[in-house]
Amino acid sequence: MTRYIIRRILWGVLLLIAVTALTFVLFRILPTGDPARLRAGRNASPQVIAEIRHNLGLDKSLLAQFWIYMKEVFLHFNLGFSYYSSAPVRSLIANRLGATVSLAVGASIVWLGIGLPIGIVSALRRRSLLDRASMGSALVLVSAPEYWLGLIALYLFAADIGKVKIFPGAGSYVGLTSDPWKWFTSLLLPWLVLAAGSAAIYARLMRSSLTETMGEDYIRTARAKGLSERRVVMRHGVRAAINPIMTILALDIATLLGSAVLVETVFDIPGIGRLNYDAITHSDFPIVQGTVLLGALFIVVANILVDIAYAYLDPRVRYS
Amino acid sequence: MSQVRMFASAALAGALALGLAACGSSGSSVSGASPIKVPKGIQTPQTQAQSGGKHGGTLTVLNQTDFEHIDPGQAYFNIDYEVVHATQRPLYSYKPNTFAAPSPDMASGPGQISADGKTITIQIRHGVHFSPPVNREVTSADVAYAIERGANANVANPYFLSYFSSLVGASKATGGPFPGLTTPDRYTIVLHLTEPRAQIVLDALVLPLSAPVPEEFAKPLDAKKPTEYGNYQVATGPYMLESDGAGKVLGIGYQPGKSATLVRNPNWSASTDSRPAYLDQIDVKIGGDTTVIGRQVLEGSGMVQNEAPAQSIVKLAYEKFRSQLEISPGAGDHYIAVDNKQGPFADINVRKAFWAALDRTALNKARGGALVTNVMTHFIYPEIPGFEAAGGLAGPQVDYNDYPQGNAVLAAKYMKLAGYPSGKYTGSKTLQVVGSTGSPSAEDAEIVNQTLKNLGFQTKFNLVDSSVMYSKYCGVPAEAIDVCPNVAWGADFGDPQAVLDVPFNGKNIVSTANNNWGLVNNPEINKAMDAAESIVGTQARAAAWASIDRKLVAQAVAIPFDWDKQPNIESSNVAGVGDLWDSGEWDYSYTSLK
Repeated sequence: MTRYIIRRILWGVLLLIAVTALTFVLFRILPTGDPARLRAGRNASPQVIAEIRHNLGLDKSLLAQFWIYMKEVFLHFNLGFSYYSSAPVRSLIANRLGATVSLAVGASIVWLGIGLPIGIVSALRRRSLLDRASMGSALVLVSAPEYWLGLIALYLFAADIGKVKIFPGAGSYVGLTSDPWKWFTSLLLPWLVLAAGSAAIYARLMRSSLTETMGEDYIRTARAKGLSERRVVMRHGVRAAINPIMTILALDIATLLGSAVLVETVFDIPGIGRLNYDAITHSDFPIVQGTVLLGALFIVVANILVDIAYAYLDPRVRYS
Repeated sequence: MSQVRMFASAALAGALALGLAACGSSGSSVSGASPIKVPKGIQTPQTQAQSGGKHGGTLTVLNQTDFEHIDPGQAYFNIDYEVVHATQRPLYSYKPNTFAAPSPDMASGPGQISADGKTITIQIRHGVHFSPPVNREVTSADVAYAIERGANANVANPYFLSYFSSLVGASKATGGPFPGLTTPDRYTIVLHLTEPRAQIVLDALVLPLSAPVPEEFAKPLDAKKPTEYGNYQVATGPYMLESDGAGKVLGIGYQPGKSATLVRNPNWSASTDSRPAYLDQIDVKIGGDTTVIGRQVLEGSGMVQNEAPAQSIVKLAYEKFRSQLEISPGAGDHYIAVDNKQGPFADINVRKAFWAALDRTALNKARGGALVTNVMTHFIYPEIPGFEAAGGLAGPQVDYNDYPQGNAVLAAKYMKLAGYPSGKYTGSKTLQVVGSTGSPSAEDAEIVNQTLKNLGFQTKFNLVDSSVMYSKYCGVPAEAIDVCPNVAWGADFGDPQAVLDVPFNGKNIVSTANNNWGLVNNPEINKAMDAAESIVGTQARAAAWASIDRKLVAQAVAIPFDWDKQPNIESSNVAGVGDLWDSGEWDYSYTSLK
């Protein structure tokens, strides 16, 4: 097992290097805005632009730029600085990470808390009214674009612009450490919006997975041994059925940590996704590279965790 | 001549693509002395009271967009000016309701121009102090250092060479002292020029580069690549970015992409400044969705949005919150650049045919209609001296300018004069047309492309991001783009030279970052511009540049279609004062809470 994990970590590092290289190449070769030109403003003389290009190291060969960047990232964990604010990318990311982690982890708890019970009940009461209603609702929620859903939620329930003033509105986010209660209440609506679509997907996944599992021979055996139905379902059914969901969950959370841009924008939550989006629109390459690298890191770590969790959850799974 | 208003226009463009066409200006009333009319009940910077506000309170500013630069040596965008003009005092500045007559700000009086037009002497105010941690009184040496650092490659001020290159030694300056700037005493600064260009240099002193910077504090920061002075800045204005004891604002008073907090500058004295500075604090929140922001501002209290609101919000404000809506004229030019140097448009008659054929009202309808646009008929725009002399709203009386909705018959006449007997282009050239993505630029570009096809042209039509359009295509002469349908221009200060010189003077054509997109290089016009540059006095300059504007129209060097007007919104309990010189964006030093 240990050798397996070490091997996975090494592959993860290789993957990160590849992602970094790909991002670097994409943003420098594709016809995007010239950061020196953008930084200089449109009335800048060619000399000024050349000076900025020199200062940003953009006049070096691509290979040299790449080598310097990789060396700084992997040896010194230095992600560079923003072309605009001159702030270190590492501190910009660190400054935003709390909001995104709060959003992603909270939303995942909500969607698991809603999606899994509905999926279990639907699987156990197939073709019932509850099953049809929950699966129908799931279809609607999956089809609703997050951004649109966020706007509707704000127009209906936000304390400032809503028709029924229940939840704090956009821009109300505060950090957990500055005011835990405000932090919690400001994230309720974003969590619900972000969780809506995923809860629906997870309910459907849980339903199909559990339906299949409940038809297995060992479930019949468990029942024949006289175990209570609750124990059969929870210990034997759900535990096996949840494996594929764990895989998706880890990847979903990892993806959210890097790209919850829509919900962050509509609720004005200063997270990583918005940082990345703003950087792309400004051709602020160091931030783009930093956030993409972070996203890739989350995915790699999530994959490793999933593999370990698999082994724990399903005794049949063992790695050599 | 800045991107400032270009970007405002782009934002506005995106904001107002649809839905406002119905918001016309019928039944309109004239606001102030402006030639631009706005519907009754809507504010303009000219009608807002600059005095009598209530002292105290915190204004919340909701901005979707972050600042570009908060260092006065680098700031060059409307949105940057929000902060910079509340915290810094350039030598001169405009009162909110004018874009023509600057007032002394850090200077104590008007600049004195020598008889030969090659020396400017300026006295600065006594008793102005820097904010903590510097605290000491501002001297002329601080103004000199502020301008000198514009030439520092680590600062890389975008307009230093454009406006200050005529200072003796400026073209070779690298951030240190040069002979063109001397400070004979603590309160006097003298600018020495190599040629008689004093008026344009004096005009350019409204830009934030002339705001004093303490050398002993800034020099170590300016040595970093790039400078970190913006993150450790000190203020001379009524407000300062909240900072720690070392003057650090990054992470305290300014969190990139998140917020900015302006507090009172404890060293600011009202006796040295004409600005009332009613507010105690300004909290800028960055990010969010523009439609949500707009509703929060209109339905909330103590808030403004300091960028063009979403189109649905302007419509909502126009219909239900009209007293909370401000429309500011003078937000810049939108025109179509055509290649004057080569290809079909090197022929003046083809240019005139295109002008005649174009339905300019259709383009403006796509931008939001009469509430936020005016059909552009020449190049000096409203509120800039020379506008009326150049033709006013109606523009010069030339037949191809007489039909805002286009005239196919007239267009055919000019095509025939260009040597196409059928009235349509029959040559083999396929036009390269590069426009900008996003609404309404894309819609405008489509209309332009269709007009070209109606004239018989084959086109290769490309839409790219606005920044790419300028930096890779329209701003690079070697790309030989025939038509750029989405270019825009705004003046850095209220002087007609700032509108016309860069985009239309042949001497300004450069190989990259070129802003003379149409490669206009008419010897007669170039000569007239060179002569006009040395004229001193607002009236005389207005007359000279208006005459040049008429020549540009006579040569149909580009096809104008929109004089922008920018909408801005506020909460009902805010007595906002917008800056006419900054597209009507709210001025924190004049705005108050009711």
